[in-house]
Amino acid sequence: MKFGGTSLGDGEKIKNAARLVKEYVENNEVIVVCSAMAGVTDTLLLLVDKASRGRVRDVEITLNDLSEKHFRVIDDAIVDESVKRDVKSIIKDLTEDLRRAVLSILYLREATPRSRDYVVSFGERLSTRIMWGALTELNVNCKYLDGGDAGIVTDSNFGEANPLMEITKLEVKRRIGSLLDRGITPVVTGYIAVNEEGVITTLGRGGSDYTATILGYCLDVDEVWLWSDVDGLMTADPKIIKNARVLPTVSFNEAIEMAIFGAKGLHPRALEPAMKSNIKVRIKNTFNPSHPGTLITAKPEKSDMIVKAVLLVKDVAMISVRGASMVGRPGTVAKILETLAKENINVMMISQSVSESNVSIVIKRDALTRALNRLETTLLGTGLVEDIESEDDVNVIAVVGEGMKGTPGVASKVFGAVAKKGINIRMIAQGSSELNISFVVKEEDGNEAVKAIHEEYGL
Amino acid sequence: MRREEGLNIRIIGIIDSGGAAVYEKGLNLEEMIKTKKKSGSISSHNDYGRPGLSVLDLLDELDVDVLVDATPTNLRDGEPSYTYIRKALALRIHVVTVNKGPLALALPALKELAKHKGVVFRFSGSVGGGLPVIEFARQCARGDEIIKIEGVLNGTTNYIISRMEDGLEFEAALREAQERGYAEKDPSLDIRGFDTAAKLVILANEILGIKTTINDVHIKGIEELRKKEIDEAIRSGETYRLIGRVDGGLEVKPTRIKREDPLAIRYSLNAISFTTMNSGVHVILGRGAGGRETATAILRDLIEIKKKLVEVKV
Repeated sequence: MKFGGTSLGDGEKIKNAARLVKEYVENNEVIVVCSAMAGVTDTLLLLVDKASRGRVRDVEITLNDLSEKHFRVIDDAIVDESVKRDVKSIIKDLTEDLRRAVLSILYLREATPRSRDYVVSFGERLSTRIMWGALTELNVNCKYLDGGDAGIVTDSNFGEANPLMEITKLEVKRRIGSLLDRGITPVVTGYIAVNEEGVITTLGRGGSDYTATILGYCLDVDEVWLWSDVDGLMTADPKIIKNARVLPTVSFNEAIEMAIFGAKGLHPRALEPAMKSNIKVRIKNTFNPSHPGTLITAKPEKSDMIVKAVLLVKDVAMISVRGASMVGRPGTVAKILETLAKENINVMMISQSVSESNVSIVIKRDALTRALNRLETTLLGTGLVEDIESEDDVNVIAVVGEGMKGTPGVASKVFGAVAKKGINIRMIAQGSSELNISFVVKEEDGNEAVKAIHEEYGL
Repeated sequence: MRREEGLNIRIIGIIDSGGAAVYEKGLNLEEMIKTKKKSGSISSHNDYGRPGLSVLDLLDELDVDVLVDATPTNLRDGEPSYTYIRKALALRIHVVTVNKGPLALALPALKELAKHKGVVFRFSGSVGGGLPVIEFARQCARGDEIIKIEGVLNGTTNYIISRMEDGLEFEAALREAQERGYAEKDPSLDIRGFDTAAKLVILANEILGIKTTINDVHIKGIEELRKKEIDEAIRSGETYRLIGRVDGGLEVKPTRIKREDPLAIRYSLNAISFTTMNSGVHVILGRGAGGRETATAILRDLIEIKKKLVEVKV
């Protein structure tokens, strides 16, 4: 069971999370994975930034705030005086360590990826120990462990470390396995691990969810539960569609598509270990625990839902590159993509007509200026390209569902529904996996288009 | 070897249970053997002895190129060899081991780590002693695919079964194997099939690329094999051998085979057969254990490492 930052947002919430764990430890072997309390990771990053710029006073204030915040949370989360005393003394030592680490950055005025990982790791280390206290108070026999102590070993790619899966599997089995055998519930920090030299690393994308699925993979667990503040994956954003529903089951492939298109808090990377070993992943809400949530499995029960979800991706921009001399000339698209890759700009969608006279791509809106600058410098005036145009007032709509595979007429139904509302479609892309259809509309039409498809498929 | 392979091995540290002998310019081996024979521990040497110094200390202290691990096999947790190898690999030191413990329990993990650190990790001597089993298998698989491995991988049990064919009861055959030095005082690793299973795991990982450990092997030893079963088999032109088999799953058990089967070798020999998709069955056989044989395997691994080092430098 992994608990997200909002689920551990304050003392009461930690208490609530601990009660949920308690409910299940009676009849199950449970491993608890904790994120940092909401906002703490951002504060720590800010702290690193301030320290590296020599802001002595800011650093002092932030350090004190952070430490006070955690002590307050302990007071709210734990009643028993002796447990409280233990946890406070542990947290005091930890915050001292944190202070020393930040001060060394402050003196050197230099933050490296390595020191940043070390400082950021305190978020999870603090929350995990408080969770341990809350569980101890409920008489759950448990032990707190940092990711490295749990056996997660990564390469030294600080900030975005990759687990060495075989070593990790062996070590996790030894360490966590022996705790479970003795009836002890491990409470593990999410997000953080160690490299082969024992230096703290962080997992980057996927974060604590990734920790949970890695542990699940290593121990061949029955299910991984990701507790957060949403009931599950939904047919659409409830802010757009009032009657959007929680999907009871989705496949890994669908979940990955939805995660890519911004389903809240889920990263495709975190699903990889579970997918590889066919472990079910359940998304649940700590604030509505009786709701069954969404179950992600390899083979969801047969459903007649062709389309599962309609997602709106905002903050994107579209670039069109056109020119008659691009026709029949190999390497044009490669050139465009290469130019963007060099600027470290991710291409979200790409579409080219068979005439080859036009290539459209979609990127994040905040990268548009950089992208245009590079593309214009590289391509204009080469005779290859006639013009480069952009639109920054667009949205991408992604229609996701494994049922679309091999079902004829999906595209006509989707686009028909949109056309009926008088909405013009600017660009279309569908991969041959047929898992999703994505298209671009003007921003002002985004919500309407989602509604139209949602209604058409009766979601 | 120096002329043929360009390999000049300098042994800068030797460690036994009592401590170490260390000399960065290279220890004189004959002198070291004399010291070991005389006092029981290498660490008692007058000039280079370092009583109490451990492998881990030595790896930290010296500039080591290769660690050769010849510690005894422990199939329970692979220690202390597992810790030594991990430390060495983490320090980017190449490793040669003949210890089956860490291999049987953690081969996928150790290979991953060696790859990650860009160092060579070799263990030819762990299966088949001086028989170049792994090299042979690689040749068999080239342009083809190995679909099944079967082998008599443990000389001790094969000796015992062979003597039972000759007419001895199990207990008498075991006693004789012990007297002749084939079997350990505690022969259970051999008799109960664990040694065979460990070697099978190494072959499955290295040759078939199956990421597996000894915990995945179904193991039955020869402790319940009776002379009467062997006699009965012999009457129909067959016999028993303790065979390790990778054929989908991994399995070790006494198996009834034809007497003319290439695996029906006698006494302390080993035989391993590789069934390929297209080029038939290939069998390698010979003495599978012994000091000189295993030492030869270590030398072969060192030569391989030297080759790799040259490749990198060019």
